[in-house]
Order: sequence, then C-alpha cells, then structure tokens
Amino acid sequence: MQQIRDKAKELLTSQAVDCVIGYGRATDGVTSRPLFVYEPEQVEELIFDKTCTHNLTKYLLNRRGKKTGIVVKPCDSRAINVLLNEEEIKRDEVYIIGVVCDGVVETRWNQVGEEKQARCQYCHQHTPVVYDFLVGEPPEESPPAPEDYAAVAEIEAKSLSEREAFWTEHFDRCCRCYACRQVCPGCYCTECFVDRLDPLWVGIRIAPEENRIWHTIRAFHLAGRCAGCNECERVCPMNIPLSLLNRKLVKEVDELFGFQAGLNEEEMQPLGTFKKEEKLGIGE
Amino acid sequence: MTQVISKSDLMVWLGRLSESHTLIAPVNDAEITLFRRVSNVEDIALDFTNTTLSAKEWFFPPTETLFSVERKDGQVELVPAEKMEESVIFGVRPCDALGIALLDRPFLNEPADAIYRRHRDKTILIGLSCREAHPECFCTSMGTAPDDPSNVDVLLTEVADGYIVQAVTEKGKAILPQDLLKESDVTPPSPPSLSTVSVEGIEDAMLRNFDSIYWERLADRCLHCNLCAYVCPACYCFDVRDYNDKGKIQRVRSWESCQSPGFTTIAGGYDRRAGKGPHLRQRFSHKLLYFPREFGSAACTGCGRCVKVCPVNIDIREVIADVQNLGGKSGQ
Repeated sequence: MQQIRDKAKELLTSQAVDCVIGYGRATDGVTSRPLFVYEPEQVEELIFDKTCTHNLTKYLLNRRGKKTGIVVKPCDSRAINVLLNEEEIKRDEVYIIGVVCDGVVETRWNQVGEEKQARCQYCHQHTPVVYDFLVGEPPEESPPAPEDYAAVAEIEAKSLSEREAFWTEHFDRCCRCYACRQVCPGCYCTECFVDRLDPLWVGIRIAPEENRIWHTIRAFHLAGRCAGCNECERVCPMNIPLSLLNRKLVKEVDELFGFQAGLNEEEMQPLGTFKKEEKLGIGE
Repeated sequence: MTQVISKSDLMVWLGRLSESHTLIAPVNDAEITLFRRVSNVEDIALDFTNTTLSAKEWFFPPTETLFSVERKDGQVELVPAEKMEESVIFGVRPCDALGIALLDRPFLNEPADAIYRRHRDKTILIGLSCREAHPECFCTSMGTAPDDPSNVDVLLTEVADGYIVQAVTEKGKAILPQDLLKESDVTPPSPPSLSTVSVEGIEDAMLRNFDSIYWERLADRCLHCNLCAYVCPACYCFDVRDYNDKGKIQRVRSWESCQSPGFTTIAGGYDRRAGKGPHLRQRFSHKLLYFPREFGSAACTGCGRCVKVCPVNIDIREVIADVQNLGGKSGQ
C-alpha cells in the first residue's frame, strides 16, 4: 500500500502524470471505491486490499490526451491491453502501477465477504500482463491450466427450453439501468446500439423482449474482448448472472481461436481481424 | 388501547385481500426482494429489510402503455390504456410511502397525469414500520421516520406476538378485518436510530457552488449509469416513444434518467449539460434545489438505496455535507 502511495506521490510531484486513479475507502468504512488523486498531499488516502474489486481502466477512456497513472490488478491489466490494441488509449499517456494479486473478495455495501470471488478461484494470472511499476512479489506463475468453464458447462447441459426459461427469468428482472455497460471497459461506443434511434435497434421498453436483445447483443459485442473483470455482474442490482453469458463467449472464442482477450497488446482479437487462412465455410 | 393482529391472522387478512384485490407484496427472487403480484400469501417475504426497487414501480412503472391507436373499418380509433386493477400494496416502508407522496407533487399537479392518478386512486397502501435501521438509512433527515404513518392508508408495526394495526385514512379503515383484530395494551417498540445528515441551508449551498470544480471531481468517479435514479423512490424522469406493432400504434412511457447519455441532447446534437460534471450536478440540483423550490421539500426520502447500490459509492449524504462545507460565493 505504501509503495502505491510513494509511487503516486513521485508521479504527481514530478508531473509525469496529472492524476493517479487508485482506490480509496468507501463511506461504509469497510469497502473501497475508485479514488482520483490530483495532489501529492492526497496520496495518503490511497489504499489497496482484498476489497479493491473495481476495474479502474474504464476511467482511462475519459482521460484521453491526459497523462494518467492507474492502479491495476492482473485482470484489469488485460483490459488495458484490449484498449491499447483497439487504439482507444495511448501507451505513453498511461503510467501503470501493477499490483500482484491473489484474488479479491465479494463485496457489497457495508459487507466484505470471506471467500475469494468465483472468478478469482479459477484465475491463474497473479501478475499484471502490462505495467510500468510492479507492487508485490510476483509469484512463480503456475503453468497455464485449462480454463475452468464448469459454470458455463452447467448451463450448456440444459435443454434449449430450459436455457430459455433460465434467461427469460433473469432478463425479466432487468431494469435497464445500464450499469453493466457503464462500468465495462469494453463498452465505449460513441453511440451504443441500444441508444440509437435511426435505425431503431432496441426500443425504450423495459420489458423481457427488449431486455433479452440488450443482453444478448452486448455479450456478442464483447466476444473475444471481455477480459473477465466481472464488473458487470458485480454492479447489477438485479443479480443477473452476466458472467455466465460472458464466460460462454470467452469459451467459444477460446475453443475456436485459442484466444483469450488482453493477454498481450499486439494480438488482434479474432472477431476484429480476418486472415486468409481462416476457413470461410462456404462450399465445403 | 391499540388494535393488534396476530401473525397468522395477518396472513388470513392478506389472503382475503388477495381475493378482493390485486395483492402486491415483497417477494424474494434471486437473493433480492421486489414488490410483486402475489397469489399465494406464503410467497410474501416478511423478514425483508427493504426492497431493491421501491414501491414506485407500481405507480410509475418501468414501462407502460399510455394509449394505443388502432385502425378499424377505415377509421382511426384511440384506445385508452388498459383498466387498472383495484390493488393493495403490502409492506411499504415509511421511506417508500414518502416517495409516493413526493411523486404526487409533479404527477398530480394540475393538469394531473391521468394514468398516474388512476394508479393512485386504485391502490391502498399497507405500510410496515421498520424495526431495524441499516447503515445507509437516513430517513429522519428527510422528514419521515421508521414508524411514520403519514403517507400510508394502514400502518402495521411489529410487536412480540403480531402487529399493531393503525388505520390512517378512511380507505385504510374500510379494509380492516374487524373480526381478526384484538384490543391490546402493548406499546410500540421504540424506533431504531439511524444515520443523519443536516440539510439545513442546502438550497443556498447548492446555488453557491453551482460552478464549483467539486462536481467535475465527483463525476470523475461516477459511471453515469441510471441505477441511482431507478432505485430512487422519488426520481421520476421518463421518455415517451411511439411503437408501430403491425399497424397498432402504442404510445409508451419508460423510465429514463438525467445520467443517461443524450438526456439533454436536443436537435442538432447540442447538449446544454454537456460534460460529466454538469450531468451529475443535475441529479443533486434537482433533488436538493429545484424540487424543493417547486414543491416544498427535497426529492429524497433517505431510503439509502442509491447509497447501497452505487457501484462507485457516490453517497448522497457525503455530497450534502461536502456541498455545505464548500466555500462558494453567496447564492441569490
């Protein structure tokens, strides 16, 4: 924690950046919240602990053209690679304070869980994939184990009508607050399809049909781009298991292309590129 | 002497009400609690703290059809919205009841919103006092209290062996199950104490600090989702669109929020509240300055839902305190 503060102070004092985005304590006194530090004197408010679940990289999209320091966990760092690859942020405008991470816990307002989040239990990325300054001792990374798609397989095992019933029941609760979109570093369209009036893709009705289109299309738009921070599920007030949708697409892209989003900056996400050796599947 | 109903008789009463009315009550669903139509009283969640969405959704639903237009025999016919059912909402907390009273001001202000008025006229509210307060609760700072009967038709207060039943309005008195009530000398438990925030002078403080950099800094963190507005019992922004469904035109009203991108964008793409700071300031200005000036009190009930669900901990209590401590130039 002190290392983060010291580095933030150094970056702000030397004017290498004009803001450091990290974590501070929330008003419940036990969980954390994003903290924007502009003044060197303010760095003492920075914290880092097991409650620091937020993926702060979303905020980089609001700071294009400004030098910004940012605290990232390994999962968050993958989103930085996605944004670099998609040319949404510039590497020389971002100073990355990477934190070695052994997992964060479930948090709710005024509640800190004991157990690691589900996504942390299958995560084998304990060191950020991109950083300028590393906090913590990088553990010896275990050889990449096959991804754990058990939760997805459980849904896949259901029949079509059972799956439809499962998702309809969840989408029925959606109030279309768009917290899932707003928190997602991969959701940065100037005009989201759901806000578009001409042509009208999805209407304003907050109803099962529209909700289903919203969640399905959003999941497709994130295929090969979702780095798995799971912020969408965390922020959902209606407890819609969005991670299942995203993980399903992660699994498909993994199986079809052997690709996982954000592991490096250079590799194009499969749905954003086309190689001549790819099978067209026409006339075969 | 007070009138008391036992816990089992409460279920009998609610069962009777579900036969004569549409009964709406807190129901647990996917680890959250929501007000839902109930046909079996055993589905009612009695031990809920507060619902994720307020009772607002039954007066100002997330989506409703205002009217439709149909073509019949070469004539165009305007069809009013479906008739509303006579309803009883059970389990309304005093904060949510205040929320409905606050919604009444813009919606029933002449010319009144006819659809909203019908929802109001057809609905009886059975309130439930709060036995526990939560860290996000601050209703006493907003003019109500955990045992406030002001804005419901009947108020129930849990005691050891049942509920104290207090009829507040004539509408409430009319539905009381006289055969199930017993006279008792039980005294109501003292209400829980909760967090407080002083709203003294907040209107002036909001004006003084209209141009403060505070709003930009607060908006740094804000994600500009609609969550706070949708869980709020007192937020009432909406959007209206027409749908053409195979020749049947429907005019639909759906929830919308001042935090939405494009909320104040007008023809030509101009946004008079462009920027994250002005966008977020609008939320608090409406609640703490414009609504009070128009309708006499803050558009906040202290239910704390926004505090609880905000993904980035924008805490209205902290904002109120911060704005009062900012040293902006004197307001008008």
